Amino acid sequence: MNKVSLEVPEGCVFGILGPNGSGKTTMLGIVTDVLKATSGSFRWFDEEPQAAHRRKIGTLLETPNFYHYLSGERNLRIAAEIKGHGRDQIPDVLKRVNLWDRRHSKFSTYSLGMKQRLALASCLLGDPSVLVFDEPTNGLDPVGIAETRDLIKRLAKEGKTIILASHLLDEVEKVCSHVAILQKGKLIAAGHVDQVLANEDIAEVGAENLAKLESVLRSTNGWSSIKTEGNVVQLFYPVGTARLESINEHCFKNGVILNHLQLKKKSLEVKFFELTQSANTK
Amino acid sequence: MLKLLRIEWMKLKHYRTFWILSALYLISIVGLNFIVFYVQQRIFEEKQSKGLAELVIGNRPYSFPTVWQMTSYVSGFLLFLPGLLMIIFITNEYSFKTHRQNIIDGWSRKEFISVKLVLALIIAFASTLIVIITAMIFGFQLENSFSLDKFEHVGYFFIQALSYGLVSVIIAVVVRRGGLAIGIYFMYAVVLENVLSKVMNHWLNDTGRFLPLQSTDELIPLPVFERMQRQIIGAPNYPVLFVVVTLYLVAYLVFIQRKFLRSDL
Repeated sequence: MNKVSLEVPEGCVFGILGPNGSGKTTMLGIVTDVLKATSGSFRWFDEEPQAAHRRKIGTLLETPNFYHYLSGERNLRIAAEIKGHGRDQIPDVLKRVNLWDRRHSKFSTYSLGMKQRLALASCLLGDPSVLVFDEPTNGLDPVGIAETRDLIKRLAKEGKTIILASHLLDEVEKVCSHVAILQKGKLIAAGHVDQVLANEDIAEVGAENLAKLESVLRSTNGWSSIKTEGNVVQLFYPVGTARLESINEHCFKNGVILNHLQLKKKSLEVKFFELTQSANTK
Repeated sequence: MLKLLRIEWMKLKHYRTFWILSALYLISIVGLNFIVFYVQQRIFEEKQSKGLAELVIGNRPYSFPTVWQMTSYVSGFLLFLPGLLMIIFITNEYSFKTHRQNIIDGWSRKEFISVKLVLALIIAFASTLIVIITAMIFGFQLENSFSLDKFEHVGYFFIQALSYGLVSVIIAVVVRRGGLAIGIYFMYAVVLENVLSKVMNHWLNDTGRFLPLQSTDELIPLPVFERMQRQIIGAPNYPVLFVVVTLYLVAYLVFIQRKFLRSDL
């Protein structure tokens, strides 16, 4: 990690986005005291960090960590005991992640998805106000992924602060209100999701004479950039402002007949690629 | 601390390896002492050798008061077993990554490692208790009346057990991986240190007896043929030996704590 500084506002869903090995888990490891930073500091709840804070935070770090020879329920008892809670919430959290029927099975017999869900259940013990999820949908099947995202959204609605690390862009886009982007241990962007991951509309226009087409298109308004790509001209617009009808009309009036006209959404991957690329060249 | 111990107990209670090894340890202590006791009885009850044995060995080693020393001495050879248990228990935490999870869930690093050290203490204490009971079982088989002379050797056994336990904790927290830790522990405790100790005793002015585990072994000499033993190697300077042993124990504790408090988990 290199000079990363950020603040997570209370009650938000804060996404930490970055490719594999960008330092997401390292950062979360440092704030949960399992990794030691060479320098720097962090605070929880505006206080100097201490073990008691972590009892009020539900954390899933990297992998589900449980005693293989104990049943799911007994594992949760240990977690509840460490967090200083009674056992009364265990049935409730097990039901929330659909593991109630398998509560007596040994952890070692669980599938990857079940292990992950047990870890989520453990996070929910004690109804913590802050939740830290590191790749929470790792290893889950599509249904499990949808359920987990649903759970995170519901938790967010309950007003909990959620820190979600992920390399999945759409995951962050779907559930987060804020986002920080990490690359090679550096923070390259942070802020509201719609600002950081602001999308663009792309209008692809094609005609016989590309040179003439481009010069005609340049006289339209509203676009932010324009370029010829292969046998089409691409016009970039801020989200939701591209008007294909007016492009078509404008070209026709100026004597250019279109053979191709298509509206494309710029993919998040491209956006993300751009962000990380520009950070590379800086 | 009781709360922490209760959680450790939750981890151990349903761990079959723990129960099997503990049972094995208990049986081994009683069993090994029984074998030696049986050999002693055979020697002393053979008509021809009886007089000779009494002449050379003196009192039967398993009679009071030497029984305290004899049982401690013999049981000392089995101390690798609770060490093995300790290593398995701690390296399990590393391989399940539950050492991380315990911290994440709200234990401080100090709490995590302290309770492991207390566990080593409890195991040493339990081992001592087993030795006391075993010594009494065999002591009362023979005619000598009960005596607490030489009972200090049981105390030495406690120190020895603690030393083996803490060395196993060190290897576990440094090596982290179960198989490798067990391998290193056995190689060192059973083979390497003994060889090294003999070599150092021979060429380096009897300094081999001050090696970590050997120094606690030296506290309890075999209560038989002591004069012959002393011809091979002189009696250790006991005050110095005690200082060395204490220093080792303190060093173990300091090292383990620092290692766990400061490194990445």
